[in-house]
Amino acid sequence: MSALWAVYKREVALFFRSTIAYAIAFGVLLFMGVLFSATVTQFVANNTSGFAQQLATADMAIVGMLGTLAFLMFIIAPLLTMRLLAEETREGTLEVLMTLPMHDWAFVLGKFFAVWTFYTFILACTLAYVVMLAGMGVPDAGILFAGYLGAWLYGGVTLALSMVWSALTEDQIVAAFLGAATILVFYLSDALALIANGRGFTAGATDFLRELSLVAHYQETMMQGILRGEDVAYFVLLTVAALFVTSVLVGTRRWRAS
Amino acid sequence: MITVDHLTKRYGDVAAVRDISFTAENGQVTGFLGPNGAGKTTTMRVLTGFTPPTSGRALVGGFDVFEQSMNVRRVVGYLPENVPLYRDLTPYEYLMYLGEIRGLRERKARAQAVLARVGLSARSNSRIRTLSKGMKQRVGLAAALLHDPQVLILDEPTIGLDPLQVLELRQLVAELGREHTVLFSTHILSEAEQVCDKIVIINGGQIIAQGTPQALRDQLARGGRVVVRVAGDLEAARAVLAALPAVQEAVLDRDSVVVTPADSSADLRPDAAQALMAQGFGLLEVRSLAVNLEDIFIELTRREVGAQKEEVA
Repeated sequence: MSALWAVYKREVALFFRSTIAYAIAFGVLLFMGVLFSATVTQFVANNTSGFAQQLATADMAIVGMLGTLAFLMFIIAPLLTMRLLAEETREGTLEVLMTLPMHDWAFVLGKFFAVWTFYTFILACTLAYVVMLAGMGVPDAGILFAGYLGAWLYGGVTLALSMVWSALTEDQIVAAFLGAATILVFYLSDALALIANGRGFTAGATDFLRELSLVAHYQETMMQGILRGEDVAYFVLLTVAALFVTSVLVGTRRWRAS
Repeated sequence: MITVDHLTKRYGDVAAVRDISFTAENGQVTGFLGPNGAGKTTTMRVLTGFTPPTSGRALVGGFDVFEQSMNVRRVVGYLPENVPLYRDLTPYEYLMYLGEIRGLRERKARAQAVLARVGLSARSNSRIRTLSKGMKQRVGLAAALLHDPQVLILDEPTIGLDPLQVLELRQLVAELGREHTVLFSTHILSEAEQVCDKIVIINGGQIIAQGTPQALRDQLARGGRVVVRVAGDLEAARAVLAALPAVQEAVLDRDSVVVTPADSSADLRPDAAQALMAQGFGLLEVRSLAVNLEDIFIELTRREVGAQKEEVA
């Protein structure tokens, strides 16, 4: 545990010291701020007055913002994770770490929790918009809770998925592109299910593709305020699976000639 | 204590190390000598628990490198080739980081003690990226010493240092050898000869000789050629030597005669001296030609390459 904690602390410190990490956070928050502002302005302009309308505005603004964040994760997650393991491999420091009395998984988990912490920081910054909304109508607590819990888990799984590639290649750019592609596959597998259905695939294959989908477990459920155990289980299991694969891939460095 | 027993390491079809066996004792510096690509780094990576062996066994501090990897990693201090470091940290922060991963108690005191030991106390709070190559090397060495390991494995620690730094580092390694088991790789012969109590010569993934520097020197001196200098007619002396039954060949080489024995294990010196004196030559010098490890090394590695060529043919 001491090893995991040590890796975590160093990595968190690196994120909060890194200009690039802040630049990513800044870009994300700016983008979301503009969208948030546009959504609110539009609803206010169309306002036919009344309390119900104000509530709907607040809910729409939150849902729209979280949906944007979830979509953007295919860019954000690879940018945040590409360095994590690839740099250690390239710099050779991985060889030092792997000859210390530390399990490969402790190292991988330390890195993962660190990047997830930084993501949580970005997510927490968006709460500023929620505070602003309080002035114009209180959003539904269920939507707020389920939406944010979902966004947090959604972030975790996309970070874990893109981190796999950082373990596989020592080239950060390659890791980032493959990470983005992987997340898009999971993002779009909902749409793929529709196509498969139209092409006469079996119901089993279609269901499988649909169950794999990030959208089916977040945008269509938790983001709308529907909290289901199976969605939480999906995120947790997929995250654990991705971290397991990452840990195994880090271990294969021991077998590969370099 | 390190015991390597019929160790083989393959990467795919390529055997980086083939069936090697040797030991490194407590309180000694064992030199691991060989040209680049001989298998030194591969062997060290197996011994530090970084990579598992393909077959054979290796014990480090009494622990099996494969079965008890975590125990091995606890008793080993490792300085990899090229000394990978975190350039954004200071030497002190780096040691604290490693110490925490190792779960060391009294990390601060240990970090300060090893920094003092490698002579880096004054720069302990400078970013590693601002340090010179020699200082970085010492940070790496401090990291290897941090947990007061029983076994120290140093992969080419003097590479890229200036002559004064090399001298200091050799001294330090020799000192460390008194308290730890030190395995130290190099491709510089004079270095191995100066620092090591025992030398293991590796080439093409196989051990081709091992022993104390003295034993290795003797081994070759016995099989080697003899140089003779006389006062008087050199050509006549050459003829006398060439006529001896044990001599295969005697040739002139500037102001001396180089005599090659027919049987490489024989010592020609007594016979040569006797024959020349009987003929009335004034004897100036009779000595074995190969007296340093350089010659042994070159001869052994050449012999190996020759044998491989024959195999291919």
